[in-house]
Amino acid sequence: MEPGKNKTERATAFVAMLVAAAVLALGLAACGGTTGGGNTGEKTTAEGGEVTGDLTISNWPGYIVPGKDGTIAQFEDASGVNVKYIEDVNDNEVFFNKLQPQLEEGDSGGRSIMVLTGWMAKQMYDLGYLQEINHADLPTVFENMVPSLLDASYDPGRKFSVPWQSGMTGIWVDTAKAPEIKSVNDLFDPKYKGKVTMLLELRDTVALVMQAEGVDPEEATNEEWMKAVDKVKGAVESGQIRRFTGNDYTEELTAGNIVAAIGWSGDASIIENPNAEWRMPTEGCVLWSDNMVIPVGAPNTPAALGWMEYVYDPKVAAELAEYITYLSPVEGLEQIFAKTNPKMAKDPLVIPDEEFQKNCSSQVSPPDAEAVNKAWQEVVTG
Amino acid sequence: MSLRQRSVPYWLLAPGLLWLILFFVVPMYFMGELALRSGSVTTGFTLTWEWSNFGDSLSGHTEQILRSVFYAGTATLLALLIAYPLAYAIAFRAKRFQLLLLFAVVAPFFTTYLIRTIAWKTILSDSSPVVSVLQTLQLVPQDGRVLATSGAVIAGLTYNFLPFMILPLYANLERLDGRLIEAAKDLYSSSTQAFLRVTLPLTMPGIVAGVLLTFIPAFGDYVNAQLLGGTGQAMVGNVIQSLYLSQRAYPEAAALSFLMMALILAVVTIYIRFAGTGAFMGDEEEAK
Amino acid sequence: MSAPARAWAWLRHNALLIYAGLAVTYMLIPIFVIAIFSFGDTPKDKLTYALGNGFTFEYWETMFSLPELNEALFTSLRLAFFSTLIATAIGTAMAIALVRHKFRGRHVSNLLIVIPMATPEVVIGASLLSMFIYYSFSLGFTTLLIAHVMFSISFVVVVVRSRLIGFDRKLEEAAADLYASPFTTFRTVTLPLLAPGILAAGLLAFALSIDDFVISNFNSGTTVTFPLYVYGVSLRGIPVQVNALATLLFLVAVIAAGLVVWQQRRAEKMAAVRPETEAKPVTA
Repeated sequence: MEPGKNKTERATAFVAMLVAAAVLALGLAACGGTTGGGNTGEKTTAEGGEVTGDLTISNWPGYIVPGKDGTIAQFEDASGVNVKYIEDVNDNEVFFNKLQPQLEEGDSGGRSIMVLTGWMAKQMYDLGYLQEINHADLPTVFENMVPSLLDASYDPGRKFSVPWQSGMTGIWVDTAKAPEIKSVNDLFDPKYKGKVTMLLELRDTVALVMQAEGVDPEEATNEEWMKAVDKVKGAVESGQIRRFTGNDYTEELTAGNIVAAIGWSGDASIIENPNAEWRMPTEGCVLWSDNMVIPVGAPNTPAALGWMEYVYDPKVAAELAEYITYLSPVEGLEQIFAKTNPKMAKDPLVIPDEEFQKNCSSQVSPPDAEAVNKAWQEVVTG
Repeated sequence: MSLRQRSVPYWLLAPGLLWLILFFVVPMYFMGELALRSGSVTTGFTLTWEWSNFGDSLSGHTEQILRSVFYAGTATLLALLIAYPLAYAIAFRAKRFQLLLLFAVVAPFFTTYLIRTIAWKTILSDSSPVVSVLQTLQLVPQDGRVLATSGAVIAGLTYNFLPFMILPLYANLERLDGRLIEAAKDLYSSSTQAFLRVTLPLTMPGIVAGVLLTFIPAFGDYVNAQLLGGTGQAMVGNVIQSLYLSQRAYPEAAALSFLMMALILAVVTIYIRFAGTGAFMGDEEEAK
Repeated sequence: MSAPARAWAWLRHNALLIYAGLAVTYMLIPIFVIAIFSFGDTPKDKLTYALGNGFTFEYWETMFSLPELNEALFTSLRLAFFSTLIATAIGTAMAIALVRHKFRGRHVSNLLIVIPMATPEVVIGASLLSMFIYYSFSLGFTTLLIAHVMFSISFVVVVVRSRLIGFDRKLEEAAADLYASPFTTFRTVTLPLLAPGILAAGLLAFALSIDDFVISNFNSGTTVTFPLYVYGVSLRGIPVQVNALATLLFLVAVIAAGLVVWQQRRAEKMAAVRPETEAKPVTA
């Protein structure tokens, strides 16, 4: 073959392919594209009714008592519902992104319940991806809910969310190596360089950093958020912060790679380090809740509501709390624990204690979440 | 040639081409269109022919791009150095254990990428005996660490993509006629010369395939950087993942992805030209 | 020769094999670690990398006691099996067409095969997802299968092609001279000689599928594959059974290989017994 002919043939062939592909794609794309913008139709309310059939729940990992005698098995026995329980929520943003195209179309991918942190629940609700909940369908829930949770900044009056567990973000400290760490500001101390991790979630980390500087995250302006982001950025550049983590800070603590981490109050059961201890920062923690929500297009909403009712039974709630070791949203557990687990009855990490939490702020989003998130992502993604 | 004979290649190609067009080209079109949009998830993405997305994503992430080239390039080189002798040994020196060794090489793949990498995380953790040994050998500073450094990420990449280098090398070496090497040894004064002048050139197609199959996925990887790296080791894959999944900045993510593809294609083209072989592209005559 | 000289000569002669042994050991280091930790007792049955709690077989005995884990594993195996079958068949056909035949559009085809390999997995995953959603194609096993076959085809083509190049056509010409039809030649000469390459390609496709995380993450819907399951539990505690399973999978692969080798040796022994009737198997 003559070389010249080769080249022209290749070029023509390439262009031809592109054109053909474009034509093919355009031809197939007869209908309009889905490109975001949210559902702005009317909000639907989840229907009540008989509790039977199949139920699919999406939750965070480690948030339920597993196994043959676990919560799911007991619920299935008690109600006759067949439950598919998927632990695919590892990160609010990531989960949202995976689901967003479907939710846009009113399709929940088969899920009837999802468990999301408060701010993400609000975000989804504002976009029209969630159904509202009728309080009349959930008598046990609203009777047993801890009073401080009956109202939430992200969902006044609990129109669409029911708390699953609450938690506090504070500092985990390896008391054998750095016993004097008591405030988030201590994490910036150069003597701990490279031995500190912080959470990827900006509503935890940046909020705590701000709080340590005396700024209230619930009232902070964008500039104040950005200033805190910059402070963290400086720490990244100096090598102060080893990594940004999700739940995996627990591994770092176990392996002894770090001396302190910003982390969550309920992770004691995962950390195999006898010296590790969760500390309430002197300036206070960040208080958050993970909530059950019902997405649009959820099949079998009566079963979903039945599940919510079931887990607000104090006996069930006590079992969950004992295993998960996060703050339970259900009242009256002290009496149960007094008999079965006296130590836990007084544990402020499981039984909400107002005095203990007095300096804590509720987890909120920055006023301009997108801009702050963008700046934050630049910082945490190396 | 009869019509039947002439149409044979088309029949052979059709299923593959169809699959690739439907499930690769068409989605790419959608992604390309996305790269030209602007907006956000809450306001909707509209097509505004935002060509600046490409420039912006490039300039905003040059550091990670260069770093990825460096990490992937180093890992590929190391993999080649490790894999070639191994593939050679399996092909020529291990007649009886050939399949067994091949399986031993590929079997780690059956234990899941994540588990393997997490295992390395344990092996290289600050308090592990391995790190202590490395510190004694002065390869790592006394108060230094292995995890959350570039070295750990490169080591992870090399390890995880080693089979991608070994298999093509082996497939190519295996069909090399041993007598050619013997003849070369008869003619050249040493095994080294025989190797350099006969074996190496003949196995070029395998090397080309192995290098490409290793470099490209390593370049776009983010798991190793995420698990074994710390702040300052993020690769392009991490950025794209963040843009898509954590920031929902789809147009920027799509634009960056396109740029990545273009960059890789450029590297591939230059490399093939340099390695001087149209053999990779399948022209038999040129290979001979 | 003196003893040291002989030792040195032995070393030189076997250097390559010794090196191979070391290299394979290096590749297996994480497997050892995984295996070791599958025997460590832990309080909450979750994996921790602290070995202080003692030795136990518990996790091996209860390996299949986690329903989500079993389901995920089974899904992954099924997926890998079908995807390997389809991708290897399609890919081998393409490789043969590309190397052996002259036709128009060969350069376009080459391009179409190379480009997917040049695309980051995140991109392939996300773009496929947007297309599936666009056409309201429900996510699940089918979408996963489509995605897995798609990214495997290119690799199969490359590996098989690498073997086809420089393939000695004379053997096929000899068959043709003996009046074999093209199809028979293909079946009895080409295919067996091509077999190691196809096998390598198939292995690669299987490994790619069973190991895939990124693309699966985007296109799986509520279907959970083994890597997705591991990722999910890795953040809050991996059940130790996962390590046991991973080790088991590895052992199964090695035993399978061992069986094949043993079978081969038996075949060779039989051949040695009947020299007149048995032709030596053609090896490279």
